[in-house]
Amino acid sequence: MNPVKCIVIVGGGTAGWLTAAVIAAKHKSRMPAGFSVTLVESPNIPTIGVGEGTWPTLRSTLSRIGVSETDLFRHCDASFKQGAKFVCWTTGEPKDAYFHPLMLPQGFSQLNLVPHWLHQKNGQSFCDAVCPQARVSEEGLAPKTISTAEFDAITNYAYHLDAGKFAQFLQKHCCEKLGVKHLLADVQEVKLKDNGDIRSVITAQAGEIEGDLFIDCTGFKALLIGNALGVPFKDCNDILFCDRALAVHVPYESELSPIASHTISTAQSAGWVWDIGLPTRRGVGHVYSSQHISDDAAEQELRAYIGPAADQLSLRKIDIRSGHREIFWKGNCVAVGMAAGFLEPLEASAIVLIELSAKLIAEQMPVCREVMDVIASRFNATTEYRWGRIIDFLKLHYALTKRKDSAFWRDNVLPETIPKRLQNLLLLWRYQSPWFHDEFNQVEEIFPAASYQYVLYGMGFQTEIELESLTGDSKMAERAMRENLAQTEKLRGGLPYHRDLIRKIREQGLQSV
Amino acid sequence: MPRFELLSPSLHAKLKIKSENVPHFTPVVTSEFFTAAASCPIMLTKEAETGRFYAGVVLSLKPGEPPLKTIEERGGFNPLSLQCSGFYISENNIVVDRDSPRFSDSEGGQLFTDSLQPGDNLRQIQQALGKYHAGIEMTQIFIRSLSELKLIEPVDMSLKFDNGERLTLQGLYTVSLDAIRDMDDATALTLFRAGHLELIYVLAASLQHFNVLAHLRNQQIIQSKKLN
Repeated sequence: MNPVKCIVIVGGGTAGWLTAAVIAAKHKSRMPAGFSVTLVESPNIPTIGVGEGTWPTLRSTLSRIGVSETDLFRHCDASFKQGAKFVCWTTGEPKDAYFHPLMLPQGFSQLNLVPHWLHQKNGQSFCDAVCPQARVSEEGLAPKTISTAEFDAITNYAYHLDAGKFAQFLQKHCCEKLGVKHLLADVQEVKLKDNGDIRSVITAQAGEIEGDLFIDCTGFKALLIGNALGVPFKDCNDILFCDRALAVHVPYESELSPIASHTISTAQSAGWVWDIGLPTRRGVGHVYSSQHISDDAAEQELRAYIGPAADQLSLRKIDIRSGHREIFWKGNCVAVGMAAGFLEPLEASAIVLIELSAKLIAEQMPVCREVMDVIASRFNATTEYRWGRIIDFLKLHYALTKRKDSAFWRDNVLPETIPKRLQNLLLLWRYQSPWFHDEFNQVEEIFPAASYQYVLYGMGFQTEIELESLTGDSKMAERAMRENLAQTEKLRGGLPYHRDLIRKIREQGLQSV
Repeated sequence: MPRFELLSPSLHAKLKIKSENVPHFTPVVTSEFFTAAASCPIMLTKEAETGRFYAGVVLSLKPGEPPLKTIEERGGFNPLSLQCSGFYISENNIVVDRDSPRFSDSEGGQLFTDSLQPGDNLRQIQQALGKYHAGIEMTQIFIRSLSELKLIEPVDMSLKFDNGERLTLQGLYTVSLDAIRDMDDATALTLFRAGHLELIYVLAASLQHFNVLAHLRNQQIIQSKKLN
């Protein structure tokens, strides 16, 4: 038996450090018996801060690795994220906007409110009819109070954060608390064994580093999974067209300016602008399709979005390549983060995919090389499923548009650009709304049926309803919507302002219980 | 809004003080723990403004209801925070909140004698204020160490009464005895030397008084039914 005890992660950044933390926290008790996690990071490569949006899963991940939420707010310029607001995606007209919250619709485990809402047609948005979160977030309120325990929520939430600071924060925790070894060294060569496994990486500063399992967190370069092992990259730019981004940091007008507690995604002529509020600045960027717009025109649209504040600011251009590896785990090497793939940050999927991959690796850590291929094929099946579902869900935002004002939007609704699975679901949903039996049945499903409901009905999708089928649970539906109204009012009265709560957390801290 | 005034014989010669309105929950400091724990549950809860923990005693089970035990039934225990209510210390001076319902121009006992000397009740309050303020800091240190060692756990309590009423007590915390048992020797010794270990056990044991309070409240319910 060849035991797997020595884990080598190549690459720092959010992917490397988060993976290191999740694995080290899970296997800490094995360390005295020789289990080790080593992270090799180049001292010369700056990390790309991918997206600053996260998912609610990050709360349980952080809690599991043993960091304090108060420290996260103090060190990572973090703010609360309660969802995303999509502006101008449906018609492009001035009032065109909808909200995708992080809370499930009322009574979701028992009742599908969609047909009831469709039947009512009283002008209220689906989101507001079934969930308080859009109102709470639009009014600048936080998802909890100073007396709510760390990582506990009153309304479900994730974070916006400074990804560079987040990686440093995790690094410190990994090295000081979790026993991760940190080597600053440039990988020059990857040595393979006869069976195709990676034997070691040769570094300029630290010599040869051997390992039983290698985790490729080297970003777009994919030094191990791509360069050394030759796993091909599967492009998906035939589905998702955006291939370039311009990013900029925008200062607040004053220290007291409200901080948005949701990501604002505003559609442009050939892409969309993200707008993320951190306590000290806004992170704003334009993701666009270079097939449909020139860099200069994209820059103009971004500057127009920001307004006069943009005049002094310099932009950073990032090339993005949408897609993922054909497989993610080959031999004794598994890719996490951008080495595994990348998708436009429309639903902040980057960090959640890192978390889920790291969790899967940590929980199913093969005991010995002999069983690794079994785990690898499970990992590949699950991870490919996840990427597929994210691609479908991102495409949904484009496929539902009614915009015809530019080639970008017209091309996005061409059937040949829409994955078959999504096409079938869209056909199905014309006659019945998304619900649990719609194949969203995987453990840790990336987007539950609720997410599809929020986007579909936020974008004015029409589902036929059969009136007779409503009567069975119409009383229950009425009650759920009434409760939603009452809960919304209660929350609006009881939650503090987002900026005020962050200031208090930084000053006084949250309690751990 | 409180209306603070420095306490002075000239300004407050005619000021009268009534016995305090007893709330269902009031803060206590560690120097009171032993006497308090003989008759009431001592619980931790969070300040709404800061989220920080403080310790308090439960005197009745529902806001607005009078205490379930008299001072005598509590073995003479009268929380310092109640004795001092309406009075504060600011840089060695006593300050009064004129808007506190304790103060009156007509009812109650005078604070100062006719010769403008502190009366008996004011002397008692002065003493209580001194003890209370000395105790606040000690209590904060105690609670901070509980919090840092992650020894605090929430208590979910649901009480049922004979009239069908169900009371759910929320936002209350106590010390986790499991966490105490898992503590390493060095930490345990530090807590012992700081005098915190005995406070922890007293606090944990006082939880049992909920049974008595619930029983007393139930008796009251049965009594009032009989009278009707």
